[in-house]
Amino acid sequence: MEQFIAFLLAILSSMLIDNVVLSRFYGICPFLGVSRKTKSSLGMGIAVVFVIMLATLICWPLYHFVLVPAGIPFMDTVVYILVIASLVQLVGLFIKKYSPSLYKSLGIYLPLITTNCAVLGVAQGNTDQGYTFLQAIANGLGTSIGFLLIIVTFSCIRTRLDSANTPKAFKGLPIALITAAIMAIALMGLQGLFSGLAL
Amino acid sequence: MSREKGQTKANFLKGIFLENPLFVSILGTCPALATTKSLEAAIGMGLLFTIVLICSNVLVSALRKLIPEEIRTPAYIVIIATFVTMVKMFTNAFLPELYSTLGVFISLIVVNCIVLGRAEAYASKNTVFDSFIDGVGMGVGYTLALMLMALFREVIGSGMITVGNIFTFIPKSSLPILKCVSAEGDVIYDYSISLFQTPAGAFIVFGLILATIAFIQNRKKELASYRDRQEKIRKAQEAKEAALKAAQTNNVEGGNK
Amino acid sequence: MSQTGYLILAISIIAALLITFIVSFVLYRRTPVPKGCENIKINEENCSACQNKECQFHVSRNEEDK
Repeated sequence: MEQFIAFLLAILSSMLIDNVVLSRFYGICPFLGVSRKTKSSLGMGIAVVFVIMLATLICWPLYHFVLVPAGIPFMDTVVYILVIASLVQLVGLFIKKYSPSLYKSLGIYLPLITTNCAVLGVAQGNTDQGYTFLQAIANGLGTSIGFLLIIVTFSCIRTRLDSANTPKAFKGLPIALITAAIMAIALMGLQGLFSGLAL
Repeated sequence: MSREKGQTKANFLKGIFLENPLFVSILGTCPALATTKSLEAAIGMGLLFTIVLICSNVLVSALRKLIPEEIRTPAYIVIIATFVTMVKMFTNAFLPELYSTLGVFISLIVVNCIVLGRAEAYASKNTVFDSFIDGVGMGVGYTLALMLMALFREVIGSGMITVGNIFTFIPKSSLPILKCVSAEGDVIYDYSISLFQTPAGAFIVFGLILATIAFIQNRKKELASYRDRQEKIRKAQEAKEAALKAAQTNNVEGGNK
Repeated sequence: MSQTGYLILAISIIAALLITFIVSFVLYRRTPVPKGCENIKINEENCSACQNKECQFHVSRNEEDK
């Protein structure tokens, strides 16, 4: 039971306090690029959740049960990027062949995920920080759900920003970045929320 | 020869100003926001990035006739990942402080859109020398952009510029600007805003820099269109006058007949 | 298993990953786009997320233009 609560808290803390986009700065490109429309950002977010979870489940065992015993832990980055890129291509291939309806909603975002730093960042962070397998899964889940949450919220704000009366120089990206800053300040308020609990 | 020299210079300079990867193309934003807390970290990040970019550009353009068209992207990803691993190991061995400060972001150079984008858009079509110059220009442009952001964030956020924390071969020293601490450790004055050291500050600084650039570009565009209009009005007036003159001379000639 | 065995295993896994990546990449590019999905783009222009019809991205506005 205690372990389960720790697991949930780890998910929550990597989702909100250490939010991927707003405090760890992974995946800023899709955050700024795809988040103009709520539907697109939802598709992108779900695709990212899926790929991050698969990548975490594959990369962690690969590092601890193959690379470390073989004495070549420095090859981690090459292995991870290969795992992620093949995963993205395989999932894309599967969807393209067998599920046109899924392709319709997620297909166009899949190729963008290979170069999404959130995926590689999670895989690399899991092993760099010496997480256990359970912690790695919690980190993956929390990070990816945090990404989904933020990108959808941000797209809702942005659709309203587009029609707002902003100064000409701030139109588009600059005001989006300032908005992101305000969101980051809001999330800063959650810092220290779980510090009293042993994680 | 001189024309070639001019081309090389333009090729180098375009990475710094016209096609600056961070401020104009808005690429590679993740490390730009994450590693610009201090000037030193930004310089280190830019340095590592430049090394990877130059190496991958040179190798990709050297192999551009050997790699089949269809498997280009996989080949580039493997090449870049190899160079990043090498750079990572060198950093770990010779600059361990930089390694621990940048952390995951050294590995994330692999998925940096600039490196892959340059390999596909430039190095796969141009000679080794041109690609090398392009890599140097883009790398320096990115480093300068990171330094600009880090300068604002460190000066406003911590009030002073500190060197020697990461590049340990430099003696540790700090230049007080907005915050001054006496030798005994008493704070003499402190006007720094620590918000700029937090993630939110990174977004604010980046947003304000982009807005400034947009403002300058808008001004230039407006000025150009204003000049265009003036030119048009002047030309129309000249044409009118010429037509009037022609009509007058016609009239005079007609009267003479 | 000895370290050499692990090393061989690791190298074969890396090679397998590389081959998987290249093969799936080529296959992905060769697979035709399913029917009805030919013209999908990340469309930023037609937005129906909000009810603000003054917004220049709103669907109704774009339909009028056509």
